[in-house]
Amino acid sequence: MPLTGLPPFAAGLVADFERLGAERVDTPVIQPAEPFLDMAGEDLRRRIFMTESETGKSLCLRPEFTIPVCMRHIETAAGTPKRYAYLGEVFRQRRDGANEFYQAGIEDLGDPDVARADARAIHDACLALSGCLPGVELSVTLGDQSVFEAVVAACGLPGGWQKRLVHAFGNQSRLARLIDDLSSPGPSGVFGPEVDRLAILGKLDDEAKLVAHIEETMAATGYSSDTGRSPVEIARRLREKIELSNTRLGGDTLGPLAEFLALETGLAEAPAALAAFAARSGLALDGALGRFGRRVDALVAAGVDPAGIRYRAAFGRPLDYYTGLVFEIAPAGVSSVLAGGGRFDRLMTLLGARERIPAVGFSLWLDRIEAVKGASA
Amino acid sequence: MITIGLPSKGRMKDEASAILARAGLPVAAVGNDRSYRGRVEGREDIEIAFLSASEISREIGNGTVDFGVTGEDLVREGMAEADARVEFCARLGFGHADVVVAVPEIWLDVDTMADLGDVAADFRARHGRRLTIATKYWRLTQQFFSGNHGIQLYRIVESLGATEGAPASGSADIIVDITSTGSTLAANHLKILTDGVILRSQACLVRARKPEHEGDPAVAEIIERVRRVA
Repeated sequence: MPLTGLPPFAAGLVADFERLGAERVDTPVIQPAEPFLDMAGEDLRRRIFMTESETGKSLCLRPEFTIPVCMRHIETAAGTPKRYAYLGEVFRQRRDGANEFYQAGIEDLGDPDVARADARAIHDACLALSGCLPGVELSVTLGDQSVFEAVVAACGLPGGWQKRLVHAFGNQSRLARLIDDLSSPGPSGVFGPEVDRLAILGKLDDEAKLVAHIEETMAATGYSSDTGRSPVEIARRLREKIELSNTRLGGDTLGPLAEFLALETGLAEAPAALAAFAARSGLALDGALGRFGRRVDALVAAGVDPAGIRYRAAFGRPLDYYTGLVFEIAPAGVSSVLAGGGRFDRLMTLLGARERIPAVGFSLWLDRIEAVKGASA
Repeated sequence: MITIGLPSKGRMKDEASAILARAGLPVAAVGNDRSYRGRVEGREDIEIAFLSASEISREIGNGTVDFGVTGEDLVREGMAEADARVEFCARLGFGHADVVVAVPEIWLDVDTMADLGDVAADFRARHGRRLTIATKYWRLTQQFFSGNHGIQLYRIVESLGATEGAPASGSADIIVDITSTGSTLAANHLKILTDGVILRSQACLVRARKPEHEGDPAVAEIIERVRRVA
């Protein structure tokens, strides 16, 4: 029988969050399931506890706090900037560990100073963890999707390939497969017989002709074009795909990509290492590297020692609302992640916020912290 | 006592009985023809439970029957980690059906799962919602999309009948469904992606992996007899 009570260090965490100036909020345990499935994808369905209301609405037990806290912010029409702290139970179907456990964290919404807010998230997470685990050495791993996006853009890849690569960022095996595809000789892409026929008829060369053809076919076959993909969307992507299928990349493009993804260094050395990489490969990364450097400076200003942080260029999360910083904190030399965080500038608008609200936050796994405490006691 | 779950009606029932008869295990109903219990002539150690195909897969999953004849698609859809929990002893050569990913024919730019991944990645930004898939195969769809192809961003719309009609009616963008000849898909102007076959399913003799089966000669004999004629 797993322990379901609050861990003893919870009171200290609450006090820490208060001292850090974050506003404590709570959210209902029973949540609408749609936003979680919409944001994280159907795969989440197997890992959450779902039920249905009498009226057929999908409900779930809160699997995490970020989405409920953000939705609460939108619903209460609170202004920004705003920093919210939470501590409470979350519910997930897990192979290892209990199905209900505590998480605590801070969501920092609307600070336009991205570097400062990023640094504050890492600082606050480290401070909260050190408070729970005095004397335990912590190691932080940091990644940044926006640097990868800049590298991909600077490599001069066609737009479709850029999107594919960026979408796979954080998923090592998928990314490796894509790069493999890009380097394999011969045209790629599979086209159906209808495309061949249209090519012979000359209907592919002109977008307007192609759109008209698709429109006619849709009407004839009873496909309404207003609910799903439109003729223009299909025509454009088909033409893009034809162009992509003829794109083969040589070593001078793929070499730098692979070199970048293999980059791993202490954060203090990372700005110089990235600058050297940019110079070596001849890629213009000034904007992304400037932002990266400002974050390192902001960390130092916040009192975080960059020597305790490793930068891993390939580290990311393959979710489309993460946009920049990601980080994880574990005890030094141990793989158990005690805290995870990152920047999710796209989430607020996806959840229905009218304007773009930059956001960064972190979450602590209190059950894992307790396990480390138990082991080191 | 060994229990074998067999389909309770239709062609599946006839074909399953025919296989068992060829295997030297002729099935007879207990009582009248409509009875839900049966026996194997001359075998006091075997009983037959006539069940619907989806019940058979569930009962094998909980181990309430030892063997069952049912479609591989139903077994794999019905339980997580099917291979750890059941053994597919023999493929029986009937009840063929492929579980496939099908998209509107007019999606001229989509012929592979990679194409679909691109479309799914952009869908929310273009349409304000995720790409939707009509299916009754939740588990197979998730495993195939997320596990095999790294596609996360889609939503499943449950569909318990006439799934092929969903894209034209606008209730979903694409479908995951079974097809045997493909003619229903074609009639609905849908095409199967070139790498979109999730499972080539057929009726199988399936065994619940139970510890007491180890070293039971009757269990081994049933498998052996069916394999010889399958």
